[in-house]
Amino acid sequence: MKRGGVIWSWFWMILGILYFFLPLLATFIFSLKAVKDVYSFKAYVNVFNDPAFQLRFPASILWSVLTIIAAILIFVPTAYWVRLKVPKARPVVELITLLPFVVPAIVYVFGLVRTYSQPPLLIVNSPALLVAGYTILSMPYMYRAIDTGLRAIDVQTLTEAAQSLGAGWGTILFRVIFPNVRVSILSGAFLSFAIVMGEYTLAQYLAKPAFAPYIALLIQNKAYEPAAATIISFTLIWACMGIIQVIGGQEQSGQIAGGH
Amino acid sequence: MKHLILKNISKEYGGTTVVRDFNLEIEQGEFVSFLGPSGCGKTTTLRMVAGFEMPTTGTITMNGAEITNNPPNQRNVGMIFQAYALFPNMTVAQNIGFGLKIRKETESAIKERVDEMLALISLQKHANKYPYQLSGGQQQRVALARALANRPQVLLLDEPLSALDAKIRVSLRSEIRAIQKKMGITAIFVTHDQEEALSISDRIVVMYEGRIEQVGTPFQVYNFPETNFVANFVGTLNSAEAEVVDSAQGLLNMDGIQFKTSQEEMKGRSTGDKIRMSIRPERLSFAAELKKDNVLDCVIENITFLGSVVRIQVKIGNARFNMDTFNNPFLELPKIGDKSQVTCSQEAVLVYSGEATA
Ligand SMILES: Nc1ncnc2c1ncn2[C@@H]1O[C@H](COP(=O)(O)OP(=O)(O)OP(=O)(O)O)[C@@H](O)[C@H]1O
Ligand SMILES: [Mg+2]
Repeated sequence: MKRGGVIWSWFWMILGILYFFLPLLATFIFSLKAVKDVYSFKAYVNVFNDPAFQLRFPASILWSVLTIIAAILIFVPTAYWVRLKVPKARPVVELITLLPFVVPAIVYVFGLVRTYSQPPLLIVNSPALLVAGYTILSMPYMYRAIDTGLRAIDVQTLTEAAQSLGAGWGTILFRVIFPNVRVSILSGAFLSFAIVMGEYTLAQYLAKPAFAPYIALLIQNKAYEPAAATIISFTLIWACMGIIQVIGGQEQSGQIAGGH
Repeated sequence: MKHLILKNISKEYGGTTVVRDFNLEIEQGEFVSFLGPSGCGKTTTLRMVAGFEMPTTGTITMNGAEITNNPPNQRNVGMIFQAYALFPNMTVAQNIGFGLKIRKETESAIKERVDEMLALISLQKHANKYPYQLSGGQQQRVALARALANRPQVLLLDEPLSALDAKIRVSLRSEIRAIQKKMGITAIFVTHDQEEALSISDRIVVMYEGRIEQVGTPFQVYNFPETNFVANFVGTLNSAEAEVVDSAQGLLNMDGIQFKTSQEEMKGRSTGDKIRMSIRPERLSFAAELKKDNVLDCVIENITFLGSVVRIQVKIGNARFNMDTFNNPFLELPKIGDKSQVTCSQEAVLVYSGEATA
């Protein structure tokens, strides 16, 4: 590539960064203007002091954590089992994991409500249904991250080695498989966290407290507070990303490399 | 009582039989190799002993107890894989202690055993390294220690040396053999390398297309191959088509050239039979040294140095034969194209039915 090429690639990169960050910057500046003529964190204080925020923001975090736990417990064994026992079914399973991209959330949530609002499946009011729904939404990220992680280790031989040393399925999963896909699980978990924190449709229509519907409500009623809430959620997600990068980096240099 | 008994074992995959009529009894402390070409069913048979595959028919008995359908984690067999299969998330010491931890042994008992195993494979200094920080040969030694730490009934090794380079392969195989002898553990070693099998086994099971061709000591298998396949697969062999012209005298005719074989080889043959005649390269020598039962005119075609051995290709009639002689600095080699005479005893001429296989 010639010098001109380098300049152009910088140009496009800067353009891309501007496209992404300018609105964010504008939002941030706007969020500081709650008090006339001065920059202040008034809007942030308002948001933090709002009882609705105090209920809904932690609720969303709780949903995220529960979703991540459920997703790990369901998808790690599934992805492992598919690789070990039914590798021929992998393309089909992969297709299934992509369904949440294909089915619009609004259609999905009405399906959930219809199915689970009549006996014997009357669980539409249970938070479990919301978490189950989120778990499905996290599937494309979580399952694929785990499956990619499993590709890096020789699942079958490691399983057989553990078996011949006396290990049962539980030991194999928790002592051999989980530790070796920890980095993948983390990256999948981060994405799932972001998805759940920003998810609107499911929480809204299943009538559960959550952060995204709260922002939507703020937008209808307030000027500066929605901007502040958006910045809060971005900051939170970036903090998560940073933590995961650090952990992942240590992991990489520590032990995970070279799984031949 | 035999330590391990495989009785009438067969294995089918979707209608294809890959192992059949497999009968084998192994003594406590014996080192047995499964030797055969790719796809002959060595791994499949080993995996049935390990419990990773279930036999379609037959039974496996270990220490007097039938284990045919026991899951692998209840057999107490040690398995060594070609790909080492160390747990990447654990240190060397943790790998070795894995099985003991599963058995809920005490921390101090585990540590003691791990140290003992580390000493056995001389890797004490590497106890806290991760597998990726070790060479292939070191990793395989850790895998060996990990398998042995559990005091398994049987050690199963599936081509454990194939991924290593030639030097390490030779040194590690004698190390494996020495450790196996020291611990008195029964071992089955799968390989398709005949030199490997010959050098470390008490007995060799030669397999071909899912069947046992011959079971015997390395000496028996090499010197008295029972089938044409074994003769060809184990060691190198000169082979040519011939006809029995006098079964009482042991006379054979190869394209008008007469060979004499022993009475032993003529059992069950009659005059006029079309047969396959085989001679090991090291059984041929130049006639100038000592004339034996067969003295044959030949032309020198090629000379190859193989290190300690020099392989000379000669043409007898229309057939090409290899002849091996030990190398030494005073060896006087003939020139290519020279006419000469080679000789061999009648016992060196082996007779098999039919066409060549391998
Ligand atoms: N799970 C399976 N399904 C179907 N066929 C199989 C399966 N495993 C092995 N086979 C077939 O069984 C035959 C024997 O395989 P096996 O792996 O035992 O051979 P091997 O002697 O170990 O060969 P190699 O030296 O190449 O390792 C082969 O033809 C193989 O294709
Ligand atoms: Mg094999």
